[in-house]
Amino acid sequence: MKFLKYVKDNILNILIYFSTLILICLMLGAFKIKIYINITIFIILLFNGIVIILLSYFRKYRFYNSFVNNLEKLDKKYLILETIPEPNTYEEKIMVNSLYEINKSMIENIKLHQSNINEFKEFVEMWIHEVKIPISSMILKCHNHNEIKTQEFSNLIRRLDNNIDQILYYVRSEDTEKDFIISEVNLKEIVRNISLKNKDDLLENKITLKVNINALQVNTDKKWLEFILNQIVNNSIKYKKDNNSLIRIESVEEKEKIVLSIYDNGIGIPESDITRVFNKSFTGTNGRDKVKSTGMGLYIIKNLCNKLGHNIYIQSKENKYTKVIIEFGKNNIYKF
Amino acid sequence: MKKIMIIEDEKTICNELSQLLENNNYETIVLKNFEDALNEILYSSPDLILLDINIPYINGEILLKNLRKTSSIPVVMVTSRNSEIDEVLSMSYGADDYITKPYNPTILLLRISAIFKRCDTNTNSISHKDFTFDVSKGIIKNDKDEISLTKNEIIIFNLLLNNKNRIVSKDEIMTDLWNNDEYVNENALTVNISRLRSKLADMGYTNIIETRKGIGYRII
Repeated sequence: MKFLKYVKDNILNILIYFSTLILICLMLGAFKIKIYINITIFIILLFNGIVIILLSYFRKYRFYNSFVNNLEKLDKKYLILETIPEPNTYEEKIMVNSLYEINKSMIENIKLHQSNINEFKEFVEMWIHEVKIPISSMILKCHNHNEIKTQEFSNLIRRLDNNIDQILYYVRSEDTEKDFIISEVNLKEIVRNISLKNKDDLLENKITLKVNINALQVNTDKKWLEFILNQIVNNSIKYKKDNNSLIRIESVEEKEKIVLSIYDNGIGIPESDITRVFNKSFTGTNGRDKVKSTGMGLYIIKNLCNKLGHNIYIQSKENKYTKVIIEFGKNNIYKF
Repeated sequence: MKKIMIIEDEKTICNELSQLLENNNYETIVLKNFEDALNEILYSSPDLILLDINIPYINGEILLKNLRKTSSIPVVMVTSRNSEIDEVLSMSYGADDYITKPYNPTILLLRISAIFKRCDTNTNSISHKDFTFDVSKGIIKNDKDEISLTKNEIIIFNLLLNNKNRIVSKDEIMTDLWNNDEYVNENALTVNISRLRSKLADMGYTNIIETRKGIGYRII
């Protein structure tokens, strides 16, 4: 709170006071009151006026200054009400009360939206579990009536299942802490599950799968890592080149971390796109031109990796290769 | 024949699952009365139970917990809920395996046979004709001769011998190989089978593996 600005705000009051003061002195002069009495009265009233201005300034200064300073320092501005000093004057009380009301109605509003979002998420999760039941019936039906046509159906069903998994993990990736358990997980087992899941696609597309897992145990959530790897392998299959396709999954132990890499010799990512592949809804030239893409896969993966505390990055050369690297920390903080 | 009980409230899945299991030489029972599930299980005494978590009247996990008080029948939990917590909970209640919907039927079968194998202790060697096949060492032996097989050949031969009575499809063999971390393609599978054949022929067993074109293979 600046003094000059305060004076400027109260300039009308000050002008009225001083003009009255001068008027009084002139009147006293006109009544031929002795000059030294006149001067004494003038000085007393002048002093009086300055004291009034200063006093009222400092009273406001105490309240507003701490208010402004706290607001500046606060990370979450809406918590300001908790920090301001007790209001003394009528004005301050009005302000604090209105702030309180505003805050309250805003919180109610946010609560409403939050519960709407939560309800929606719960519904989506429930729906996903519901929809998995007919999917598994279809898979079983296809398997029992094994003919050429059911092969095609199986592929379609698998794609459907992948898409549904994507929504499930997207919903979960937003507020997920409730839903993951970090434990020691065997990478070999996870890679096996992923390969089995994509076996038909890999064989059908004549993609050679090479697996070389040297570091076995990592601290992570099994289901989530499976989902992450599945998305990456799916991408590798989607963006393969026409012949001699290869996917190589390797893990090595380094000093402070375990590095898992998924390499493919597919169409790669253009240099202009590579920094943005993890962005929400980013499809890139590949996603637009060659295969339809939602642009959400890698975004969800990145999000999940962040939550799990793994580093993920991507290296690629257009028309040569794509390599996704996930680093697992070796510290034991997560263990329980 | 092994008896498997299916506890599942979804009719279509129930029917297809029974058919799948019956196609693979298992006898199936379907639980009808969910209200009195525990007694019905104990009464029909199956060799293995496929148990869904979301069933009417009683939660699958609770049912399992109650069942474990009196019986040690192997139980495979089947569910569409795929959170780690459900899995940990089921395992802690004494499930022998856990599989999430939608599952790959071949993998389900492999897991079931793995559990049966674990229960029967003396499956380490299989006899057929006049030879015995030692699975853990990978050696085929008869009175005169003895040969050893490579890892892939062991997996294939073991699967064929365990399913003597029926044709084993290429896909099943492939799934079993992949399930054992051998990521081979179709050409490699054909090569493996012809190697296995020539090794068996060296011992005097010609034409023991029959090829059914477009379907699969069978041990004669």
